[in-house]
Amino acid sequence: MIFEIIINHIPYLLGGLWVAIQLLACVLVIGFVFGLLLALAEVYGHWSLRWSGIAFERVFRGIPELVLILMCFYGVGNWFPIDPFPAAVLALGLRSTAYQSQIFRGVIQAVPTGQVAAARAIGMSGVQAVCHVVLPQALRQVPGPWSNEFSSELKATSLAYVIGVVELTRQGKYIISSTQGNILIVFAVVALLYFVVNWLGNRVIYRAERALEIPGLERGEGD
Amino acid sequence: MLLDVRDIHKAYKDVEVLKGVSLTLERSETKVIMGPSGTGKSTLLRCINRLTAPSSGEVYLDGTLIEERNINEMRQKIAFVFQDFNLFLHLNALDNVAMGPMRLKGLKRAQARERAMQELRRVGMQDHVESYPAQLSGGQQQRVSIARALAMKPEVILFDEPTSALDPELTGEVVSVMQNLASEGVTMLVVSHEIGFARRAADAIVFMEGGYVVEEGPPADIVSAPREVRTREFLQLIAAEGQVS
Repeated sequence: MIFEIIINHIPYLLGGLWVAIQLLACVLVIGFVFGLLLALAEVYGHWSLRWSGIAFERVFRGIPELVLILMCFYGVGNWFPIDPFPAAVLALGLRSTAYQSQIFRGVIQAVPTGQVAAARAIGMSGVQAVCHVVLPQALRQVPGPWSNEFSSELKATSLAYVIGVVELTRQGKYIISSTQGNILIVFAVVALLYFVVNWLGNRVIYRAERALEIPGLERGEGD
Repeated sequence: MLLDVRDIHKAYKDVEVLKGVSLTLERSETKVIMGPSGTGKSTLLRCINRLTAPSSGEVYLDGTLIEERNINEMRQKIAFVFQDFNLFLHLNALDNVAMGPMRLKGLKRAQARERAMQELRRVGMQDHVESYPAQLSGGQQQRVSIARALAMKPEVILFDEPTSALDPELTGEVVSVMQNLASEGVTMLVVSHEIGFARRAADAIVFMEGGYVVEEGPPADIVSAPREVRTREFLQLIAAEGQVS
């Protein structure tokens, strides 16, 4: 009975989901930190930094995730041994860095130039103006575009399947192989788990977006 | 003298906006710079605190040359009030004013807010300390931005057309704050067409045109008996506008 099979295997599915979530967390944190640094380099950096940043972002936005994952595991694996999980973190982390750098660049450039002028005019250095005025305003605008990135990286974790990371999709495949279970139903349960995490994650991001809004500048109000 | 502006030139590519402007300001003095638009008044103000770097010329504050090397330190002594306020959008009125003292003068948050509260009271904004810029009218925002300037305890405040982004009914509250400051002895250099303010509060009017200072003198003389034809024409234009509105 298929439902019995699924109920019996729920711990495995949840285990797989937990691996997927860990992978997602690593990827998003890497993308956040390095994406922000890359964006700062692109906006404020010396032309050489700016140029390298743009090149990095073009390259890693232009390669399919699956190809990146294969390159990081088999390609890098040729030089020194790398486990599937870190290889997946590396591949998706590079990709997320490229995408998130574009989010950060956009919100930084959206801060009106008068804000920096006002900060400089009271005697702040450029760095102080960025830390105390530009970033506090820019980062508030991040959750909206970031929810896209969250969703797409969550789904991309399933690609780690191909290099043997035992995440949710692979657990589903194991259940099907070991029990001759119904392929459609097992993957439907896997899909439901992805959907629920995606939905919950987006709820949290939406809440954050609301909490970070500047009074008087709420979405859909003013000009 | 407190502020000594010497022979400032400013060119953008091959267009020279300022063609050698000099002026001085004594402590506690208020001077109003007037003149047709496109004359370089705002550029002159921005050259003084180097928001725009002059092509040549020097500015001294209390005998110290203002240059790139000491600019952040000097800007703490030369406050700047913008035409479009430029309040920090993510902070309420109190924290807008407290920002400078806290981040630059090393005051603790509580002390900085206390100083901010004093300055907000001085501009009549003590009832709006929790409001964010987007929740305030233009006149209120400009008063907060004046408080932000005052909180740095500057030697001089530069005002760049402080009322020209405001609806006519809101200019009064800003002008009266500025008049109070002038009478308290705050040193101010003001680019403005508020002839009433100039008459009541200014020690001198500087008339600029085409990148030069055309004439300078006490408001009564300049307004009632300008020496230069251009000054007279300009003042008549302003007066005509005043009658219409």
